[in-house]
Amino acid sequence: MSQMPVGGLVEHVTCLGCGCSCDDIAVAVRDGRIAEARGACALGVSWFGDGRVPAIARARESTVTLDAALDAAATILDQARRVLVFLALDVSCETQRAAVEVADTLHAVIDGVSSSTVAAAVLAAQRRGRVSATLGEIRNRADCVVFWGTDPAARYPRYSSRYAPEPAGLFVPDGRRSRRLVSVDVGDARGPADADTRIRVRADQELDAIAALRVMLAGRSLGSVPGDGGLAELVRTLTASHYVVIVYDAEPGGLPPEPARAESLTALGQQLNAVTRACVTPLRAGGNRVGAESVLTWQTGYPMTVDFSRGHPRFRPDDGARALVAAGAVDAVLVVGRALGIPFALDGLRSVAIGPAASEAPCEVAVDTGVAGIHEGGTAFRMDDVPLPLRAPVPGPPVAADVVRSLAQRIGTRRTRRS
Amino acid sequence: MTDRLRITGGAVYDPANGVDGDVRDVCVEDGRIVSSLPGDAPRLDAHGMVVMPGGIDIHAHIASSSVNQARRILSDERTADPASPPALLDAIARSGSGGTVPTTFTTGYRYAGLGYTTVFDAAVAPVGARDTHAQLDDTPIIDAGFYVLMGNDAYLLEQVAAGERDRARDYAAWLLGATGAYAIKCVNPGGIESWKRNVRAVRSIDDALGMQGVTPRAIMETLADAANALALPHPVHIHCNNLGVAGNVTTTLDSMGALSGRRAHFTHVQFHAYAGGNGKPWASGAKALIAYINAHPEVTADVGQVMLGPATTVTADGAVEYLLHASSGRRWVNVDVELETGCGIVPYEYRDAAAVASLQWVVGLELFLLSADPWRVVLSTDHPNGGAFTSYPELIRLLMDRAYRDERLRGVNHKLLAGSALADGLAREYTLREIAIITRAGPARLLGLADKGHLGAGAAADITIYARDADVAVMFATPRYVIKAGVLVVEEGQLRRAPPTRRLHVRPAYDDAVMRDLSAWFDRYATIALANYPVSPPRDAPVPVGAGA
Repeated sequence: MSQMPVGGLVEHVTCLGCGCSCDDIAVAVRDGRIAEARGACALGVSWFGDGRVPAIARARESTVTLDAALDAAATILDQARRVLVFLALDVSCETQRAAVEVADTLHAVIDGVSSSTVAAAVLAAQRRGRVSATLGEIRNRADCVVFWGTDPAARYPRYSSRYAPEPAGLFVPDGRRSRRLVSVDVGDARGPADADTRIRVRADQELDAIAALRVMLAGRSLGSVPGDGGLAELVRTLTASHYVVIVYDAEPGGLPPEPARAESLTALGQQLNAVTRACVTPLRAGGNRVGAESVLTWQTGYPMTVDFSRGHPRFRPDDGARALVAAGAVDAVLVVGRALGIPFALDGLRSVAIGPAASEAPCEVAVDTGVAGIHEGGTAFRMDDVPLPLRAPVPGPPVAADVVRSLAQRIGTRRTRRS
Repeated sequence: MTDRLRITGGAVYDPANGVDGDVRDVCVEDGRIVSSLPGDAPRLDAHGMVVMPGGIDIHAHIASSSVNQARRILSDERTADPASPPALLDAIARSGSGGTVPTTFTTGYRYAGLGYTTVFDAAVAPVGARDTHAQLDDTPIIDAGFYVLMGNDAYLLEQVAAGERDRARDYAAWLLGATGAYAIKCVNPGGIESWKRNVRAVRSIDDALGMQGVTPRAIMETLADAANALALPHPVHIHCNNLGVAGNVTTTLDSMGALSGRRAHFTHVQFHAYAGGNGKPWASGAKALIAYINAHPEVTADVGQVMLGPATTVTADGAVEYLLHASSGRRWVNVDVELETGCGIVPYEYRDAAAVASLQWVVGLELFLLSADPWRVVLSTDHPNGGAFTSYPELIRLLMDRAYRDERLRGVNHKLLAGSALADGLAREYTLREIAIITRAGPARLLGLADKGHLGAGAAADITIYARDADVAVMFATPRYVIKAGVLVVEEGQLRRAPPTRRLHVRPAYDDAVMRDLSAWFDRYATIALANYPVSPPRDAPVPVGAGA
């Protein structure tokens, strides 16, 4: 374990409470505990907590040494017919990289949380591409901010103050006053209360509304436009703006209500670029889930749901973790990350968990590790695919990346010996 | 694996040391070339084979946020090209997938399998440098570095506008060190920032662009001077304005002229060598461009050959990708990167039935075949833009085998080839010595890598040994042996080892005064704390810069 401060103030700490990944948190540490997370929003304060996490290694019901737990884990995984490796939350990219190696060596299936939240958007991007921007571009340039069926205040509390529409930026020097804020309320999903323009769309007419925008944008006429005329006005607003950003919540606490939303909005955004500059950016939740997509992509070529059973990666977007477990297609699971809250049950499976509070999950073997960004450093990705460094304001249990690498070595050695 | 090795009986092509196919021994000890070894040192029999330094790719896209954006939309092509793990003896071998933009492990294995041992990623957004280092950490065997994107970064443009050239130099020095980069890359100077402002064309290098009214000329001068004043091992690496546009050879010649007398590298010049435009049809501008390069020793270039077949266009030059998307209807990714640069991606295919693709193929070959100095005009396909790096053996065959080249030429679309030198007949065939220059010795010299690209005593023992074949594409695609830092990586044509890699980067000194100004800039405009911006310094020592280099 590396030397970490037990008291004092640790500045520039990155918060993984949501995908905003604010990196300006000052964590006050007293007696090795987090006394305060200065600058963090309520969600961030709750994510940091007081820094206390369980720190044991467990095999069945007994507390064991780390080595014994890893030996037991390697045995379970090595003997299994088909393993699912699940990339859960709150681990660094370094840990994720080691976990993909484990999956590759075991000829396992590997998946992360994305397949149960943003699968439709991932597939849409493969068909159509995307038009996007990093958050700093939005902060400094967007003079028209459209919140599509979302108010970031609830799930991304500092989005407005750090990125848009509040901050002054290089090309929007007066901050909020330099920008047109548009709320498109989709059914009950309302945008920010202080929007300059508000357009209401029935939830069952969302795709029709996007299609209508595209038709009008193309200069063609439309027999009947959904809604109250606001869409025609919106087209004028969008095309009159210099830099438009359309922001939607890609994973509003689970599956998006309209799976085709991402693709339709992307099509709209691409079309808008014929006349002005525009981007469509998803809000993504926390825990470095975006990092899991990046790591999986550079190591396997696919951002989620990869099957190594033939000795090389195959993309199996229809057979995500949840579906595989439900179908009884795997007999053992390795969870890397926070095991509580994973989108499937572990009943009837042999199971290993390595990650924060692993020992509290109903797993056969569990190794508690630190939380990435609280007890251990490394790299995580912001919601816009920008990589950020993690700091470790308080000491904690073994570092997840080290533990998973150690497991990878054990499995690699066993497989090499047999081959 | 062995600490000592005597490679005997091979025909050695080591142009940096004046060795041109002489049969002689090459001795390796502790990862370096040495002048001699005791007689009982282990031997590798290379009789009848060709021995060259390991290949060096001066310009490819293999490890960046943009490359990863490309990977994630290419599931269709990579499904058809799965990559099982090689049978390695010294490391856990990893699987992956290929296509035009292979995964990281597969990239390292395939480059090494072609006899390449050093590769530079040519375009990394500063804010994404951490991503690149992580991807390179997962790219085995090959030593690697990258060029950091400048020339559309708002902070730099502000310094150019204010005439603060010293501060621009200090900022460049800081940025190189902070990102762990090797060189300065300038893509479409000022044009990416213009694209973000919905200004889609840069008419000339004297266009006053953006809020500050800076010109591409001033941006290029500033960055060229910064690189040269810092005495970086590689000069500024320029992707000119107006890539892929008919008539753009004028812009390219203007850009070279603007930097006349200054050391500068112009990249993928094939994409910048078109005549025509303004209502006139596309035509080759290769003759004019190569004549300028031949006459100006301070100018160096890589070609950026287009290979007929699949490609993925991926560039910081977002505007050009919009045009490609709009004209082809293909999938399109655009990512504007916070006040720094951009990213555009369109998967593509160069078809021999297409007039423009055929012209591009011809223009690249003309540049190679009319080049008077192979040391200054080196091989690239701008992987994966003009074609994947796996097509290099085919490209080498086109350069070495006129009969084959003429046969391929007959199969392409000739609509735009009137007046083309190649269509009129070019007899030149590259020799093995010239191939060794454009793929090894030349890139090493242009990159300032003193210990690479040659086989003299003290050089890194990066060596490729080819069995001769009547078809040189076969010869270059399947080296019999590849040695990386003294380790036998490819043995009897099989990838067997994956030794540790080296990160190539620089860390020039700068006047600390720039940090006060930068700190205020970060407070106003950045979304990342200045303290969080620099990457962890790479574990390898930086390549020396300046007078001491």
